[in-house]
Formats: sequence, structure tokens, C-alpha cells
Amino acid sequence: MIPATICVVLVCIGFLFFIGGAAGIIRFPDFYTRMHAAGKGDTMSVFLILMGLATYQLADFSLANILVAGKILFITIFIMWASPTSTHALIKAGFEEGQKLWTPDVEKEDSGE
Amino acid sequence: MKSFALITVILTGWLLLSAVSDFPSWGDTESPANDYRLSQHYITETFPESSVPNMVTAVLADYRGYDTMFETVVIFVAGIAIMSILRRKPLDYLKDTGRETRSYKKDPDLIIDTTCRLMIPIIQLFALYVVAHGHHSPGGGFQGGVIFGASFILLALSRDLQAAQRWVPEKRVLNLAGIGILIYSGFGFACMILGSNFLDYEILHKIMPATPVEARSHSMLGVEIGVAFTCTAIMFSIYSNLASNGDMKETL
Repeated sequence: MIPATICVVLVCIGFLFFIGGAAGIIRFPDFYTRMHAAGKGDTMSVFLILMGLATYQLADFSLANILVAGKILFITIFIMWASPTSTHALIKAGFEEGQKLWTPDVEKEDSGE
Repeated sequence: MKSFALITVILTGWLLLSAVSDFPSWGDTESPANDYRLSQHYITETFPESSVPNMVTAVLADYRGYDTMFETVVIFVAGIAIMSILRRKPLDYLKDTGRETRSYKKDPDLIIDTTCRLMIPIIQLFALYVVAHGHHSPGGGFQGGVIFGASFILLALSRDLQAAQRWVPEKRVLNLAGIGILIYSGFGFACMILGSNFLDYEILHKIMPATPVEARSHSMLGVEIGVAFTCTAIMFSIYSNLASNGDMKETL
């Protein structure tokens, strides 16, 4: 019962972070802030959701379930490596290519004020 | 034009959805696919006949091994075709033999470089696991080969195409792709030489320390390794040809 509750809470918080990340990708003004939302939101939400699923697996405590939970843990570690690095690589590529940083002045120019 | 495309999409979608109602319901034991005696044979007899618990792999590599062999050949031919379309002049780097003469065009980024250095061995280890465990759990030669090829693509992305080319030069790629098909067809011809049909692995127990049933399992692993060789080589070859426009010099 307690593992299931922890699982539900963790997965729900993970979905909250996912929604935040998705909203950030759409709403933020420039490339860098969008990538920031994508990297941060996805990493944190996937981490929380997979942790919740690992807790759910450990409700029935047996060797097979511990192995499955361990595999989920490996996926989590892998994602926590790969996702920030890919975000960093994209932002670095964008910076070298000359993407402009957002400032309030840029917005004024864009909207023709 | 846009409305025409929309009408086409809606019409196609409606046709596909209307065909769904003719399908047998989910998990129907009376449906033709489940009722036919061939699938019954696969489900009940795969493990006694070949000692392979994963019946998908057994069907792929043993019962329909001839089909899979030519699927591997199709992958090989696809790689050769892409190479021969994009390669318009001979490669000059093939002539020089100095390994350390080539330097990076730009400094590799510390974060990307470190992460990829940590990740590539793990990816390759996982690929070998997928290949070797393909007849016990989901996986096999195609999947494992693609994962192994992706590790080389990651190396090429994180540093430079030349860095990856030092590990798997174009010549070695082509050799590996050919060796993969040779391994596969070699198993088939070994069966013929020992006096059985092409790719009828049971006869291979004469040259393997195994019973006839186990010989089929071991031979499946053998042909999966052959498939993995070809997939790895062709994956990397397709990437490096497309990324460098065929001349193996500049990457994306």
C-alpha cells in the first residue's frame, strides 16, 4: 500500500514537471530558454516517474522484482547522463552558429515598437 | 492544394478505420492467425525442437532462416547502394597510412567528450548483451548490430568523423559487412557439406559439442552474430556517407 502511494505521488509530480517543460518549450521566447525548459523538465520528470515505477516494483519484495528495479535505476542514471549532455550540445551548437540571446529590447524590435 | 491533401488524408484514414472492424478481436483464440496449425506448432514445439525459449528468434533465425539471410543481404546492398551513389571520386585518405597525422578540426567540448567517453563502452557492452541474449529475451542480431553501430555514430558526432574513421575505416567497414553475410551463409553451407539441407542446423551437432537440439540453438547464436556484423558496419557506413556527402572529410 505504501509503495503504491509513493509511486502515485512520484509519478504525479513527474507529470507536473513534464507539463512545465512542455509549456516552457512553447512559451519561452528564444532558443536557449526553450532548450533550458526541455532539458531541465525532461530530466527531472523522467527521473521522478522512473523512480516511482521502481518503487512500485519493490512492493512485492523478491529477487526478480529487485532486478527489474535495478534495471529501471540503470535507465534513470543513463537518462540523467544523456539528457543534460544533449541539451548542452544543442545549446553549444546554437551558440557557435550565432543564435541571438533574448532581451526585452529584441522583443520590442520584433513587435515593431 | 491544402484542402485536397486534407481530403485525401481524411479519406485514407476513414478507409483504414473502416477496415479495423473486420479484424478479429484482441486475443481471439478462434482468429485465423491463432487457429492455424502452423502457429500452434511454433508455440508448442519451438522449445522441444530447438531449446530456444524466444520463439520469435527461433522463427526468424531457424524456421525461416533463408528469409533472414537475404534480409541481411538487403541491408548490405542498401549500404553499398548509398556508398556508390554518394562516392564520386576516390578517397585520398585511404592512401596515407600514418595513424596520428590527422588532427581535430576544432577542440572537442569537455562535457560532451567526457560523457560520450563514459557512455560509448556501456552502449557497446549492452549491444553485445542484446546480440548474445537474443534467443532468450527480446533482441538479436539486427537490434544489437544497430545499437553497436549507433555507438560509433555517437563517437563521430561527439568528436569528428575522422576520429570514428580511425576505429572503423571504410575498408574495414566493408570487410565486416561482408564477413557477416559470410558467417551466415557459412552456417548454411556447413549444413550442406555435412549432408543436410541448407540452413538445417540439426546436422551441425557432428562438429559441435552439443546434442542435435542444442546445435540449433548454438547455430542461431552464430547466425545472429553474422547479422550483427553486417548491421553494425552498414549502419556506420550509411551515417558516415550521408553526413560527409560521400567524401569522408567533413561531418555535419
